[in-house]
Amino acid sequence: MQLQSTYIRDTFLLTALLLIMAGCKKKDYELPVPKDVLQNDCIKRTQGPNIVGQTIEFAYAMAILAEKGKLVSAHVEATIDGAAGTWMENKSYYTNNSGVDVGITVGSTSVTTKNITTVSFSKDTNAATLRYYYIIPDAARGQSVSFTFSAESSNGETVSYKMGPYTIAKMDMKRNIAVSDGNLAYISIADMTAYNATDAAAKAGSIDLVYLYRNLTTSAFNHALVSPAADAQYLPGITLPGGVNRSTNERKAFNLQDYNLAQLQYGIYIDDLDFQQLNMSNEPNYAINLKQEAGVWVETADHKYRAYIYFNSANNTSKSAVLSIKRYAM
Amino acid sequence: MKHLIIISALIMLSATACKKDYPVDDDGLLITPRAECYVSNFELLGADYVTVLTKSPVIDTTAQTVNVTVQFGTDLKNLFPQFTLATDCKLDPKIVGKVDFSDLANPKQYTVISGNRQIQKTYKVLITVQPR
Repeated sequence: MQLQSTYIRDTFLLTALLLIMAGCKKKDYELPVPKDVLQNDCIKRTQGPNIVGQTIEFAYAMAILAEKGKLVSAHVEATIDGAAGTWMENKSYYTNNSGVDVGITVGSTSVTTKNITTVSFSKDTNAATLRYYYIIPDAARGQSVSFTFSAESSNGETVSYKMGPYTIAKMDMKRNIAVSDGNLAYISIADMTAYNATDAAAKAGSIDLVYLYRNLTTSAFNHALVSPAADAQYLPGITLPGGVNRSTNERKAFNLQDYNLAQLQYGIYIDDLDFQQLNMSNEPNYAINLKQEAGVWVETADHKYRAYIYFNSANNTSKSAVLSIKRYAM
Repeated sequence: MKHLIIISALIMLSATACKKDYPVDDDGLLITPRAECYVSNFELLGADYVTVLTKSPVIDTTAQTVNVTVQFGTDLKNLFPQFTLATDCKLDPKIVGKVDFSDLANPKQYTVISGNRQIQKTYKVLITVQPR
C-alpha cells in the first residue's frame, strides 16, 4: 500500500514537471511564406440601402509575387448592367505622411462595356487595390445584383472573387430640394419637386404639401409642411392655387437624421422596410414647428407613396428651407 | 460521509433561513408599507418624442388634476404621457403607447395606487391648447 502511494506521488510530480517544461517552451518565429500564386480580396465600402442612382463602392485588391509575374488586367462583371458613370479606378492609392491618399496611375482608364468593367495595367505592378464604383441602374430596382471581380497576371494565372448578392431598394431619393415661403412652396411627392403657385395650379392633382414659414409671437409655428386640405388655421395667409386640395397624412420625427439624406455623421438609414411597416392611418394632415434636422413621414392621399422628408436646413430670415426626400411607391 | 451530510444540511438551512417572503401584487410589483399616493410630475411628448408642453404642468394633488398647456398645432390623437409618481406607487391604466387626448370635453383619467396598494387617487389630465 505504501509502495503504491509513493508510485502515484512520483507519477504526479513527474507529470507536473513535464507540464511546466512544456509550458516554458518557446516557439521560434518563422517568417510567413507568401503564397506563390495570384491572389485577390475585396471589400464593399458603402453601407446602408442600395438606392437607384446612387453608388456601390468596392475596393478590389490583387497581388502576385514579383518573381512570378505582374498584373495584366482587372475586370468586374455585374449581373445587371451598371448605369452610366460606372467605372473602376486606374490608380492605386497609398496614404502619405499627412494622411492624404495619393493615387498612382497603374493602368489605362477603365472601359465599361455593358456589364463588364476592365482596367488594363500599364505599369509594372505586382500588387494593387483598385476601387470600383457601380452606379445603380433603374433596371435593378427591387432586384438583387452580384459582382464577380477577377484579375489576370502575366504568367497566365487568373483569380476571381464573388461579392453579393445585394438587394437594390425599391425607394427613390432626391436631395437638396429648395423650398421657399410664397414661391417654391408647393411640393409634389410624386414628382419629388417643389413648384411655385403657377406651376402648382397646372399640376394641382399632384401637390401634396405646402411649405410655409410664420414667425408668430403667440405660438411656435415656424417652418411647416401642411396639406392643402388641412384646417385653414394651419395655412395662415395662404391662398391655394385652384384645384390644390389634397390631404396628406403626416407624422413629425426628430433625431432621425438619415445618413443618405442628411449626409451627416449619423449612421441611421431609412430602408424599404421602414416604409412598408409604417402605419399612417391615424395621423394629422399638417406638421408645424419644424426645424433643421427634423423630418416628417408622409403618406399621399391616394396611398400611392410613402415618404420621409428631411430638413437639411431651415432659414428663418429668408423663410426658406432645403429638403431631401426618400420615397417609396406602394 | 456522515460529516458531509451534516454540512450540506447546515448550508441548506442557513440559505433558507435568509429567505424572506416579500408580498407582490398582480403585476409582480413589490407591495411596500408606503401610503403616499400622488402625481409628482407630468410630461407629454408628441409623435416625434419631443415635449409638446409650453410650460411646466400644474398638478393639484387636492383636486387631483393635472393641468397642461400644449403648443398650437399639437396632434392630440398621438401623444405619449409620462407620469412621475410618489415612491412605490403605480398607475392604472398602464401607459403602453400612444394615447388619444383629443376628446377635450372628457379628460383622460389615471388612477394612482399607493405602495401599500390600499389608497387610490384618480387624476384628470386637463389639456389646454395654446392659441395661434
